[in-house]
Amino acid sequence: MIIIGERINGMFKDIGQAVAEKNPKPLQEWAIKQKEGGAHYLDINTGPACEDRVAGMKWMVEVVQEVSDLPLVLDSTNYDAIEASLELCKRPAMINSCPAERPKIERVFPMAVKHNAKVIGLTMNEKGIPKNAENRVALAMELVAAADEFGLPMEDLFIDPLILPVNVAQDHVPEVLEAIRQVKLLADPAPKTVLGLSNVSQKSPDRPLLNRVYLAMGAACGLDAVIADANDDALMETAASTEVLLNLSIYCDSYVKVFRTR
Amino acid sequence: MGLTGLAIFKELPKKNCGECGVPTCLAFAMALAAGKATLETCPYVTEAAKEALGSASAPPIKLVKVGAGDSKVVELGDETVMFRHDKTFYHPTGIAFEVEDTLDEAALTEKIAQINDLEFDRVGLHYTVDMVAIKNASGNADTFAGAVKKVAEASKLALVLMSDDSAAMEKALETVTARKPLIYAATTDNFEAMTALAKKYEAPLAVKGANLDELEDVVNKVVALGHKDLVLDPGSRKTVDVLADLTQLRRMTIKKKFRPFGYPVMAFTTETDPMDEAMQAQVYISKYASMIVLKTVEKQFVMPILSWRQNIYTDPQKPIQVESKIYEVGAVNENSPVYITTNFSLSYYSVEGEVEASKIPSYIIPIDTDGTSVLTAWAAGKFGGDKIAEVMKSLGIEQKVSHRNVVIPGYVAVIAAKLKEDSGWNVMVGPREAAGISPFARANFS
Repeated sequence: MIIIGERINGMFKDIGQAVAEKNPKPLQEWAIKQKEGGAHYLDINTGPACEDRVAGMKWMVEVVQEVSDLPLVLDSTNYDAIEASLELCKRPAMINSCPAERPKIERVFPMAVKHNAKVIGLTMNEKGIPKNAENRVALAMELVAAADEFGLPMEDLFIDPLILPVNVAQDHVPEVLEAIRQVKLLADPAPKTVLGLSNVSQKSPDRPLLNRVYLAMGAACGLDAVIADANDDALMETAASTEVLLNLSIYCDSYVKVFRTR
Repeated sequence: MGLTGLAIFKELPKKNCGECGVPTCLAFAMALAAGKATLETCPYVTEAAKEALGSASAPPIKLVKVGAGDSKVVELGDETVMFRHDKTFYHPTGIAFEVEDTLDEAALTEKIAQINDLEFDRVGLHYTVDMVAIKNASGNADTFAGAVKKVAEASKLALVLMSDDSAAMEKALETVTARKPLIYAATTDNFEAMTALAKKYEAPLAVKGANLDELEDVVNKVVALGHKDLVLDPGSRKTVDVLADLTQLRRMTIKKKFRPFGYPVMAFTTETDPMDEAMQAQVYISKYASMIVLKTVEKQFVMPILSWRQNIYTDPQKPIQVESKIYEVGAVNENSPVYITTNFSLSYYSVEGEVEASKIPSYIIPIDTDGTSVLTAWAAGKFGGDKIAEVMKSLGIEQKVSHRNVVIPGYVAVIAAKLKEDSGWNVMVGPREAAGISPFARANFS
């Protein structure tokens, strides 16, 4: 299970303020702390308050890379900001994200191939997020076909079937699991799958419980990656245990420690 | 594993006409992958696409048989994995020996006798070899046919006929029609004539290319002529190149469903020193060769090759067992101690190693527990005192020793009373771990 640390995001007050003031300290602290938690990637998002997204994201990428060698996930709807930041990334990055809409696919996929970057593809289009698994998978198929068309290696495409909060969109939650199952059958080699895990528990009590249980359910369906809180110890232990229970990592007594230090 | 949506989509016409009842070809591909539609509803799909999609459900590597009638029948191919630990390898590498038709009568008779003699019994297993490959080194058709006839009369092994000359091949084939020998080989230059022979005599055909690209080309031409019982020779002869080619061929068939390479593969040893040749053969057996052609027929070099083949083609999911009989460690006599364990090879060899290290000659009796370990067998009711007593009696251990002491594993001390009652022997509870056998033996049997 690939863990993408979610914390360096302008939506969080400390990061938003740091981006506004060009203060690298909070970003760098979170970069180090998330790696210690066991994150494999770091999500980077300027947040909505940032005036100049291009300059903002470039600055974020540079200050984070000063203290961390983890690959970055460039999280923005502004593709100019992503493209400018890709130039600065020292390791192959991930683009977060591209919906199944032709103009956006044509913008994102060539850029990803050029920079050897991975792409998170969302199973949504102009009409919004489909309700059932079948329509999510149909949109995933568009993204899979696009990867083939533009020459993006299938294992570099991360399909995100878009999880919604269980308290308001409960019927979507099992549909997403089914979508993950079917996405893994679309191509050989199969595309990867990813979820913005924390969404499932928005505004619910005991969020960590919902997050980690859903992670385990997703893993059993073929979930490869999550954007989540890398400093939630119970969540990381859950991720580690799914790896041994699904025979993805060879078992040893210290499997949790191995997962976090790999 | 069914077809993936993307694989189907690539074969579709991409017209998005909707005549299949689904708005786009992409959606139709999804419906096909989900088994909700049939390909027939698309009026524009090509024959090539139908073939590709139809064959996708076929196994990645075709099963090809060499030999028929009263000869040995060797099954090649039909493998599904790159690594044996993923599942298992199914069809052990066919072992063939090259015999040249230039040998005089006496030498040929001698060589065939040697090959026929290559049978071995080892650790309860019987090893045999599979094929004789007669090579048209003379370049003469009559000499070749004569040699093939002699080999066929003298040996029941499957045959491989090696000649580039289709006329010589036909002459030889006529003498062994019923045996369905492997015809070696169709090449760029002679594939039409060779394929015609293979079809006429319904025999498997080896296809040889100078490299993988040429191999693919010749295979496609042979298949187009309507023959599909093929064995591939990628043409490489240096160990490192053969290893690369064998890996590539296996990978492309299993991972990419690449049809032209979906056949068993053969390899030839080229090392002149038999020791080097055996090592070369060992590489090819380990790495996907469905058959190998050897030159040496000497027992001491063939035996390790066959042991290795046996080992590699063992199913890793089935526990390996030793034969349940009385084993003697060292120079035993009537006073030697008797140890009991199970026939799970890991248990048995752990005990044997430690008994040997104790330097006290001993008997070991592995009880047949279907290859399960001591505690597993005991939990499953396969290692009780009554059963052990029965086995000791049937194997006749009481005739071998004058004492009546038997040692059982420490973890199953609980069966001691029952074993004593049923066997009449004095039961000694040994150490829990085999590692404790040495001190235990020194304390009790020195």
